[in-house]
Amino acid sequence: MALYNFEKSNELFQRATKVVPSGISGNKNPAFAVPGSFPYYAVRGEGCRYWDVDGNEYIDYLAGYGPIVLGYNDPVVDAAAAEQRKLGAAFNHPTPRAVELAEKLVGMIPLIDWCAFGKNGSDVTAYAIQTAREHTQRRKILKAKGEYHGSQSWCRSGLGGLIENDFEHVLDFEWNDATQVEDLCKKFDGDVAGVIVTPYHHPAFANQVMPKPGFFADLRRICDKYGAVLILDDVRAGFRLDIKGSHEYFDFKPDLTCYCKAMANGYAISACCGTDPYKPAASRVFFTGTYYTSAVEQAASIACLDEMLKSNAIDHMMKMGTMLQKGLKERAEANGLEVTISGPPTLPFMSFSNETNFRRSQRFSGEAARRGVLLHPHHNWFIMRSHTAADIKKTLAVADECFAIVKKEFGG
Amino acid sequence: MLSSMLTRLGLHTPPTVRDRVRAGMHLHAVLGALPHLVRLDEEAAATARLMGKVAIEFRVFDGPKVVLSFADGALKVSRDACSNVGLFFPSCSALNRMFDGEKVNPIPFKNFLGHMKALQLLPKLTDRLTSFLKPSTEALADVAFRAKHVELSLLVGLAATQDLVESDPKVRRVAKELHDATMVYEIPGGPVAHVKISHGAIEVGAGPLKDPTTSITIKDVDLALGLVQGKVDTFAANGSGDIRASGNLHIADEYNNLFDRVGLYLK
Repeated sequence: MALYNFEKSNELFQRATKVVPSGISGNKNPAFAVPGSFPYYAVRGEGCRYWDVDGNEYIDYLAGYGPIVLGYNDPVVDAAAAEQRKLGAAFNHPTPRAVELAEKLVGMIPLIDWCAFGKNGSDVTAYAIQTAREHTQRRKILKAKGEYHGSQSWCRSGLGGLIENDFEHVLDFEWNDATQVEDLCKKFDGDVAGVIVTPYHHPAFANQVMPKPGFFADLRRICDKYGAVLILDDVRAGFRLDIKGSHEYFDFKPDLTCYCKAMANGYAISACCGTDPYKPAASRVFFTGTYYTSAVEQAASIACLDEMLKSNAIDHMMKMGTMLQKGLKERAEANGLEVTISGPPTLPFMSFSNETNFRRSQRFSGEAARRGVLLHPHHNWFIMRSHTAADIKKTLAVADECFAIVKKEFGG
Repeated sequence: MLSSMLTRLGLHTPPTVRDRVRAGMHLHAVLGALPHLVRLDEEAAATARLMGKVAIEFRVFDGPKVVLSFADGALKVSRDACSNVGLFFPSCSALNRMFDGEKVNPIPFKNFLGHMKALQLLPKLTDRLTSFLKPSTEALADVAFRAKHVELSLLVGLAATQDLVESDPKVRRVAKELHDATMVYEIPGGPVAHVKISHGAIEVGAGPLKDPTTSITIKDVDLALGLVQGKVDTFAANGSGDIRASGNLHIADEYNNLFDRVGLYLK
């Protein structure tokens, strides 16, 4: 098999660097993976596959960093979006789709009584912490160290464009350490507005860590004791663990929840949902954006969630993810390598055990990409409903070749 | 102590963050490159040998200090060594103006009369360093000179991150989160520099390290020169593979957050 090259991707990227800051901003910049080993630009997608500008075809396990939950160009979702587009995309007002989608989410997700729509995860996590601050009239927000909650100033890593005050009232605790949360609540008693958590720890460049038994129960107890709002950032994992939200999967009760990625199969929409006591505060926060009420995405989201329910998509994705996780472990062992598989089956991640500098992962993923399988070396993967057993089988055959290369180059 | 007392009395205005950071970079990173200059350049090495045995302190009121210790041609730079002669600058901004090329006369202190020869030779050494860090177009035509310019510039830039960590309050938050790591910057067939990060402290040196956490490989000296001069787009070079990062790229990203900011302070 001829291995892929990425010449056109690079040509396009070189053009981009002349007219776009950093060429491609954020985590989609080539620097986030391994430049030269992955495509930079996509052209089209179908099911669990996409094609890059060089014409290379991939079985994809990144799913646009999460939003593609059914598969690229899902006919049901696209038809619903097209139908709405015929009527109009954006108006002076919301359309009935806004109410229909809100009613759908409220009916589907136990616990929640209302929801508000944005476009990206960052919109709604920021709205959630503002709602918490408004509700409590306090300042501090507690978050797990290393967790990603979006690109807004309050939670963004790095330095560019930020000032000290941006994170003055944002404090970190170690994931799974409820004692630290309680200590911070004690230390800043009366000033902690909220605790924001993801349903499990999924930082980039690290293995994923599931919640310890009792962790969320402890957070609930602590938030109740100190009057803080418990916020679930379910942007990444939402609707990939349980169609009723990840708090159902882990059996706890947050006050506010944030969704985005799997809501609409690639159409730009996010939601902050909450319980009744927080509705007045949420109403007092001025939350808007030019496209927050766009109807096409709302129509797509209704169709996507219906389709997920109808096809029991999560069960299928769990099966495919489990098959992938098990197969990778077996093939790694067969090649004399030890890997760590972390995260739930629908959002798996693999790293090479006892390695912190990712060189084996980079080699493995780079070789897999050149053979038509997209597995990110530093970021968790996403299973889609359109992945089939045949896709997993083909993926594992490629993985076998790549493990052999890693073994030859790095040893055990 | 004295500075805070004078500040309280309204007799002294503390330096701005920018002035403090720049002063630290000038003393620790720029003068800190002198031992590398002596290693790389025979003319500088000869001057260092003529300095004899002397420890010259640069001290800035309400600012950083550094001691250059010469002994038989060898040179060490440290922040807390004992000195036998000193040059005093009344403010960070005065020191910075001197490094920017303005005429500023520091006040000699300690036994300056006994070390006049060293004090007179020192500008020869710093001028030589300047000729490498701010080279003429003609000088850059020489391949060997280009490589030295690139190496010294890289070492100064990397070392300057330590002062960012210490003196820029905005950077301190990021610095607290820096993971312990080792990084190597390599130009095949050319200079190699390394960075060791431990508990937020940054140590920079020349040469490779075994099994670094992260490696940054720059294709060749000419590309590195383009990067130093700001003529090459880092992202474009990264995308094309002219700069290759491997290993823990999260660490590289964390550190580059600092490294990228050096240019805001040092030209």
